Amino acid sequence: MPPMMLNDVVGSVRSTRAATVAAPGAAVAAVALLLGLLDAPLLSAQVGDRTGVIRGRVELGRSPASNARRPGVGDLGAAPQSPPEPRRAVVYLESAPRGAFEQTEPGRAVMDQRNETFVPHLLAITTGTVVDFPNSDRIYHNVFSLSKVARFDLGRYAVGRSKSVRFDRAGIVRVFCDIHSHMNAFILVFSHPFFALTDAEGRYRIERVPRGTYNVVAWQEGTSSGPRPATVPEGGTTELDFPRR
Amino acid sequence: MGAAMALATSGPVAAQVLDARPIVLGDGRVTISGGVTATFGCAAGPSVQGCGDDTGFFNYTDYERSALRMLRLDISAAVRASDRLALLAEVRSDNGRGPEPYALFVRVRPWPARRIDIQAGRIPPTFGAFARRTYPSDNLLIGYPLGYQYLTSLRPDALPANADELLRMRGRGWLSSFGVGNPVPDKGVPLVSAFGWDTGVQLHAATDVLDAAVAVTTGTLSHPLVEDDNDGQQVAGRVTVRPLPGLVVGASGARGPYVARSAAAAAGLDAGRRGLTQIAWGADAEYSRDHYLVRAEAIVSDWRLPIVAAPAIDSPVRAVSTSVEGRYRIRPGLYAAARLDHLAFSEIVGTNRRDEWDAPVTRLEIGGGYSLMRNLMLKLAWQRNTRDTTRTPSRTFVAAQAVFWF
Repeated sequence: MPPMMLNDVVGSVRSTRAATVAAPGAAVAAVALLLGLLDAPLLSAQVGDRTGVIRGRVELGRSPASNARRPGVGDLGAAPQSPPEPRRAVVYLESAPRGAFEQTEPGRAVMDQRNETFVPHLLAITTGTVVDFPNSDRIYHNVFSLSKVARFDLGRYAVGRSKSVRFDRAGIVRVFCDIHSHMNAFILVFSHPFFALTDAEGRYRIERVPRGTYNVVAWQEGTSSGPRPATVPEGGTTELDFPRR
Repeated sequence: MGAAMALATSGPVAAQVLDARPIVLGDGRVTISGGVTATFGCAAGPSVQGCGDDTGFFNYTDYERSALRMLRLDISAAVRASDRLALLAEVRSDNGRGPEPYALFVRVRPWPARRIDIQAGRIPPTFGAFARRTYPSDNLLIGYPLGYQYLTSLRPDALPANADELLRMRGRGWLSSFGVGNPVPDKGVPLVSAFGWDTGVQLHAATDVLDAAVAVTTGTLSHPLVEDDNDGQQVAGRVTVRPLPGLVVGASGARGPYVARSAAAAAGLDAGRRGLTQIAWGADAEYSRDHYLVRAEAIVSDWRLPIVAAPAIDSPVRAVSTSVEGRYRIRPGLYAAARLDHLAFSEIVGTNRRDEWDAPVTRLEIGGGYSLMRNLMLKLAWQRNTRDTTRTPSRTFVAAQAVFWF
């Protein structure tokens, strides 16, 4: 069975079989070569028990309010406001162990449209995952993205309906609504399963990481921490915090 | 192969370098947004050499400013003092001129849980659908609907003494002149001005299905003001219904004295009390589904003129604007759009002829937009104008527009 990590974190989805679209492609692999990442540990069924955990806390920055509206000078009245979602971050391994890309299968995730807000605001998935975008509002929404890794426009649809997008390329996807300019969200698509969403207090836990030394990155609202090294012992736990810069 | 990068991006947000979110200060109490719109259009056609001018003033908003040659900067801000009180403002600068206040009002919500608002100051228009949609990214095309931009020959500060004077100004709204009131030639007024907001008090209430607003202001639809120039106020109202998802139907009405005190006095009348009014009715509808959007809007406006001399204009002069526009999103970030506009006028009887008091105009605009990013859009449009006059009866334009907003 594939590793399931950080089950208690909202919005995190794990895949369980080989990714249908691999990996980032030759160019990225070349970059990885140049960066000297190929000596990462081998991941295989035989080493399944030789894994450890990376956990810690990200000191969440004061990122811009995720659902802040434009001033709405042209509106006849104040628009209904939904409470802001707690800030979260994603912590991930910058490079993954060999074989990490052979053990995922397409998963499924949901990004709801509720009270003119994407819920969750931040979603982390593996390549091949299908994300459903149901509309739970009485008004129309129009989900779209112009991101390089996934350009789509789902059109306008009413409450109770849902449309889906499969994300086959790794990268960062900005999601918007064409009708409501304040609606925005992030989907981080990974080509390996070694990532975790923090909880509202910034705590994270990446499980079943093969022993070895990795660079770990914390990402929040478009800003990345510098990569920080972490050595994972066999069967052990490594603590790694990300203080606010 | 061995390892690979976890995220195949070089930057944190490769597809959205320019942040579309507003600037938020004071723990969310202050939000600031802005935009830059650069528009450039040329007249085109067999009789035009190079990048021709709009010699027919089809797209002018006054004698000097064309909606097709405009660099506009705008900044909006909202300061929320409490759940009940907010201050909103917008300033604009056109073609490098000094910033002008476009909106400045307080918004009071007496009961925070109820969608009832009172707005006072230079407030958003109550009437119609387009006037609150004037942000470039909301406008499907580059030009404006005729009813909100095209200048008729009527002026609030100068009045035709008789029907012959008004007929002489047919199709010359960018610089009209009359015998009563201000003798200096100046621009006329559109049916509804999209280029200035009126000053007054507005009450708005909303549910999920119904929106209603009523406002009392110093100016009129065609001539919004900051300081009153006569002794009367305009009353305007609007009701919007959303019977189905994607369908919005609206109806608007307004009545107010539009003639300036000085012009009324020159005609021997009291501007505020003698019925020199603009009365307008509007109906609009929008339906959208999947990748389609269709809008239609009609405006009927009557202006009552004073009877000064024969041949008299003894009935209100009427203008009727009809507009239909649609958009289809071809692929993510790319859409095609078209708008058909017509402006018709009632007939008056002069000494030697009976004719519409202004020249009917028809405009067809076809174009589209491409979003490089969420908040950076390029538009292209082709626009054909025809008018029932001998001087510049038609003009075709090609225009491009870049819009950035946050």
